[in-house]
Amino acid sequence: MTERLRESLSALMDDEANELELERVLSQIGEDDELRSTWVRYNAARAAVTAQPVVNLNLDISRRVSAAIAAEAAAASSGTSAWQRLLRPVGSFAVAASVTATVVFGGQQLFQAGGGDPDFASPLPAAGVSPVGFVNSVGAMPVRASYGTQPIPQLQPAARTAYKELARQRMEQYMQEHAGQAALNSPQGLVPYARVPHIEE
Amino acid sequence: MRASPISKSKYPVLTTAKALICGGLVKASLLLSLILVPLLAPLGVAATCTDADREALAWLAKMSRSHHQQAYHGVITLQRGDDMQVMQVVHSVADGHISERLTRLTGQGAQVIRAGHPLDCRHPGQHILEHNKELASASCELARYYRFQMVRGERIAGRQAVKMHVQPRDLYRYGHVLELDRETGLLLRNSTIGAGDKLLERFQFADIAYGESPVTGIDIDIVHPAQHPRATVDKTAGPETGPAWSVKWLPGGFQATDEATGQDQRRTYTDGLAVFSVFLETLPRPIQPGEGVVREGSTISYTRGMRLAKWPVLVTVIGEVPLNTARMVADSIRAVP
Repeated sequence: MTERLRESLSALMDDEANELELERVLSQIGEDDELRSTWVRYNAARAAVTAQPVVNLNLDISRRVSAAIAAEAAAASSGTSAWQRLLRPVGSFAVAASVTATVVFGGQQLFQAGGGDPDFASPLPAAGVSPVGFVNSVGAMPVRASYGTQPIPQLQPAARTAYKELARQRMEQYMQEHAGQAALNSPQGLVPYARVPHIEE
Repeated sequence: MRASPISKSKYPVLTTAKALICGGLVKASLLLSLILVPLLAPLGVAATCTDADREALAWLAKMSRSHHQQAYHGVITLQRGDDMQVMQVVHSVADGHISERLTRLTGQGAQVIRAGHPLDCRHPGQHILEHNKELASASCELARYYRFQMVRGERIAGRQAVKMHVQPRDLYRYGHVLELDRETGLLLRNSTIGAGDKLLERFQFADIAYGESPVTGIDIDIVHPAQHPRATVDKTAGPETGPAWSVKWLPGGFQATDEATGQDQRRTYTDGLAVFSVFLETLPRPIQPGEGVVREGSTISYTRGMRLAKWPVLVTVIGEVPLNTARMVADSIRAVP
């Protein structure tokens, strides 16, 4: 693990990471064992400091999810050669999925089970789909709800992580509309559009 | 795919619609300021306005008009933390209409265009900046929220610039260092400064030329026609899908950028220099109350899960304002009965 990566990880833990640092960590966490264990350690330290319930330190969600996905990918592509399978960027794909699994799980947690309030009777089926509208914006794959609804033990401060992820996804979702208004109302012309992570038609 | 050069004939219908609502907007704002000015004057607003403020406000008005009326093209960089984006801008004026084009030169091959924007179409952000001059001593509205200081400028993109320190008087907005073309008033560099004098974002021209631009060939994947306020506001209430809502608190000096209806999903506000938008989503199930924040340069995205009357909602404030502002705005959202 490089010093730079360690800094990025630290920034991520302090909620100070920018997009670049987040990407740096995400792109490495699938391959770098040391990075992964540091991540777990940092989380444990923070949980202790913030008096959050102690989590199982042996839990390695990204490993487990990538193993599950690798198995599935292998099954799906059993027609292709071993070389092609090896060359496939399974690492990044698995990382994206593991992040997503965390997020979906957190998202589900935000929703109060049942609610007990008849006014809030859900018009949507409760199972699987997160009604907040989480999307897998890290990888290119759609959210696989099954990874999120498996009986995974308590992750990190789930609500906090989930809310941060919500804020990140809302920024992606709404930035273009906001930029449109900013472009008309600030003296920089169309420059606010440069803040949009990904411009869409 | 190659981008077609800006052509007005491409959006003929849109152009007409824009012109129509623009007339409405301008009139509404003018009327508002006519009512407000006599009200504000006795409050001694003018007294807070020093000569230095007046000089700065005159430059801001010039900047806003110049950005509108000048034809120019050039290369702009936007720096946010480690990230640097480079883009090409073209701003042309013909037959009383403005055509703008922004092309990303790094990263995503995207282009944003706004064609056929009438020259006399003004938006609230521009009114705030430009009315200061016309109303001379009567309104130093902006000086109530920012402290201005003109200092010696340097050369930017080969142009001599004047430099203006813009310091917020409260904690609800960021500071700026604005550098304007000494001759035309065009904004050449804008540094957004957060708490502790931290540079959050800097946009600047690397190269600029005045006049119409030669056609260039750049690889483009996506062309996005920039939005403009809706031509028609549909006020007929559909089936009730969410609460009608309003924002009960705004930092001083902020006003809505367009007409809002009760059930709108978005509201946007500006003080002339900063802009933020509020988005509201109605959720199908109750959500554990909480908040989340992410930052990118000077932009914040603040998301809050809460309950509005009988509706569980997710409120998101996105804009170039400090966290505290976003939180207070989200706090103040109420359902309208």
